[in-house]
Amino acid sequence: MPSERELQISPVVQESLMHNSRTLNNLQSLTASLFGISAGVLGLESYAGFLYYVALSLLTAVLFYVVRVAPTSLASGGKGKKAPLDTSRYFRGAYDFWAGGLMNGFAGFVLTWTLFYGLVRA
Amino acid sequence: MTLLSKTITAFGSLLLAHACYSAREHTALQSLRAATTATLTSSPATAASLPVDIIIETIVSTFILLLGLVLGTRPLRPLEWRVWAGKIEREGEEGFTDNAGAVDKDFMGNPFSVLESRPNFVDIRKQRREFAEWVQKGGAQQGQ
Repeated sequence: MPSERELQISPVVQESLMHNSRTLNNLQSLTASLFGISAGVLGLESYAGFLYYVALSLLTAVLFYVVRVAPTSLASGGKGKKAPLDTSRYFRGAYDFWAGGLMNGFAGFVLTWTLFYGLVRA
Repeated sequence: MTLLSKTITAFGSLLLAHACYSAREHTALQSLRAATTATLTSSPATAASLPVDIIIETIVSTFILLLGLVLGTRPLRPLEWRVWAGKIEREGEEGFTDNAGAVDKDFMGNPFSVLESRPNFVDIRKQRREFAEWVQKGGAQQGQ
């Protein structure tokens, strides 16, 4: 997290922060439910299902980076140019971006996983 | 972009629904077969796992749906004030549109527009002079 002094030097637009995190949250909860559906259809059980979820949510983060973050973050010239896999142009914490989906959509994933497992196998 | 992402998402949903229905039918068939063999031979039939084509269809449809959903997200906005303000100056409304091309509802424009149109700094005498000239010119043209 940036210090108070850095925030004074280069201030942050709160509305952009909210807009970006809302966009990412929407995507994560939607895709978590989707992964639950496919895990239930596949009939995964215990650790296999959780591994499936972890792998696919990491893939979601990578795909979101490639589609939305990378084109502008890498192309902007001057001081705005970021290193590859650096999301600081749009998000405060790198951890929140890459691993936030694991916590965020977990409940939705388990819900749809059990629902579709029950629907298909019952 | 929005049409592309919607098409991909719809196609993926269709595939996923088909895979789900196939898996449901497969398990129903399996349990029916198990019941009939149990009555005939009384040997416990092992529950076979899902056929490979249904597994492949499920995974492929998940990837397609994921791609469609990611493509359908709204464009992000720069976080740092200077990057954000520079984007507004350079691109204006075009930089803050959603996928359909409509300008975002909460787009405010230049954050310093208040400073650029301060009424205290308006040269009112100059404007009055210009107005008087315009009236004279207009009056002359109308008189002719």
